[in-house]
Amino acid sequence: MTDSPFELPPELAIDTDVARRVIAEFIRSQLRQAGFEQTVVGLSGGIDSALVAYLVAEAIGPERLHAVLMPYRASSPASRADAETVVAALGCSSELVEITAMVDGYYGTEVGAGAAGREPVPASDLRRGNFAARMRMAVLYDRSVVRGGLVVGTGNKTESLIGYTTLFGDSACAFNPIGDLYKSQVRQLSVAIGVPDSIVRKAPTADLWPGQTDENEGGFSYPMLDRLLFWRIDKRRSDDEMDALGFDMELVQRVDRMVAGAEFKRQVPPIAKLGPRTTGIDYLYPRRRPGSARV
Amino acid sequence: MLVSVRPLRIALAQIAPRLGALDANLERHLTLLDEAREGGAGLVVFPELGLTGYQLQDLAADVAMRLDDPRLTTLANSTTGMSTVVSFVEESADHRLFIAAALFEDGELRHVHRKLFLPTYGLFDERRFFAPGDSLRAVPSRLGAGIGIGICEDFWHLSLPQLLALDGAQILINVSSSPGRDLAATNEVGLGTATSWRTLMRTYAQLTTSFVVFCNRVGVDESISFWGGSEVIAPSGQAIFSAPLYDEGLFLVDVALQDVRRERIALPLLRDERPELQVRELDRIIAERAGLALDSTAEPDAEPGFDIAPAERPVPIREVGKAAR
Repeated sequence: MTDSPFELPPELAIDTDVARRVIAEFIRSQLRQAGFEQTVVGLSGGIDSALVAYLVAEAIGPERLHAVLMPYRASSPASRADAETVVAALGCSSELVEITAMVDGYYGTEVGAGAAGREPVPASDLRRGNFAARMRMAVLYDRSVVRGGLVVGTGNKTESLIGYTTLFGDSACAFNPIGDLYKSQVRQLSVAIGVPDSIVRKAPTADLWPGQTDENEGGFSYPMLDRLLFWRIDKRRSDDEMDALGFDMELVQRVDRMVAGAEFKRQVPPIAKLGPRTTGIDYLYPRRRPGSARV
Repeated sequence: MLVSVRPLRIALAQIAPRLGALDANLERHLTLLDEAREGGAGLVVFPELGLTGYQLQDLAADVAMRLDDPRLTTLANSTTGMSTVVSFVEESADHRLFIAAALFEDGELRHVHRKLFLPTYGLFDERRFFAPGDSLRAVPSRLGAGIGIGICEDFWHLSLPQLLALDGAQILINVSSSPGRDLAATNEVGLGTATSWRTLMRTYAQLTTSFVVFCNRVGVDESISFWGGSEVIAPSGQAIFSAPLYDEGLFLVDVALQDVRRERIALPLLRDERPELQVRELDRIIAERAGLALDSTAEPDAEPGFDIAPAERPVPIREVGKAAR
């Protein structure tokens, strides 16, 4: 048996050459149509943002990629080291913006209250995690002005479908090259494009506290979850068919609820329809059209 | 019958139109027409909505042209000694918008095909913005062969290539803006869309014993990447040329139009077609599907147009009412 760095369900295997080709042209087109040369990517040290950095560098060259590392004090030093490995391997510019003061400035510390005031119960990890994600978003969009670049999204299809994202946080971007790839496919493409092995092999984590991993927190394995989503959503399989495919039906129902419950995260908020033409309803233009590019 | 023994050189303009940028796309067409002429092409084919880009939405009305639009005249004037198929948004006198493909020859507009099947499902939303055409014609061309034009989805309906061939087409031209999707590693050339199209086009060429010329665009509109892979297929179903996936380019392909005669004599499928049988059976099927005639082969409780009765007979509404009482 070969020492594969991850498990790839056969039905999820993609042609990585075609994927790289399509994604490279997608990235170039998004920039050209928007009138931008530069890109800004938040690098966490995890596989998703590492892959996006590699894809952007492949599409437009590392000199047009700016990586921003934004650790919080509870983030693992190993994550930062992995992000630095990516920067060194690609030869792109990078900067470090620690968000600790931003998060702690709001929630406060043992020493004193923050902008949020004194709360009877300390903020949960979930609140802190979401807040940290939104602080990173704010930093990226600020850096994007300084750099004159577009923020490239790094969310994958698995986390988007189950809602393992922060609204207006890590999901905020100008465009997303990997949002239609399941985690297993992210891993496959990462290996093909040369993302360092240590990043491909490590357990995915939101890195909000030491030892946290996505799979422990969610109670699933990515290969299993990806297969489930693929058959359920891409291949439209019914309950009976999922059962016949051998899926744990309790997990299927649970994932169904997660997917439905996260619908709001994947869509533009509804606008109350009042006037003759309403954006997104009956005023429908492509995002990029003559006149829309920055001059 | 005299068909020139000189090969016909077909130019496939596998371009990436800029969305909504009619003037820029027109310039690109004119440049490529010159290039094709210098390359000795007799037939130049541009992709679906090559003059406007595909994902237009509400921009469709802004880039629509009447057939006497000076910009189309400019294009026509560049077709001296050539046959050219170009595609754009056509506005009719009653202000319907069509996805159209026009055949220009020697400076003249010879034929306009209005897209008949507008996909409005999955990632497509064409019927929201466009009207469907309502006629299909094969037309003679200066090439000494009949030409039949379809636009993208038109060729996902079996009747189209057959009708065009029966109407006299020897060259079936499909112009497309086909979005690539499904990268499953098991697909031929790594793309599900390419596999499907290649299967269809080879089948049509073989079954109609006609040349099939497929011109698909490349580039990106919004989320969608168009995959190119334009092809010329011989009446035997053999691909003569397959353009690379995703690369922009003007590809020149030589074909021998005598192959149509050879194939149709060796394999007289078109001779043996039974259009009168089709019309008769279609008339019957249409009446049965509308519930105007009884389907003699259907099971007693089957719905109109569907031969098999449901496993459990649905309770008629009036009986539900009775049961409640």
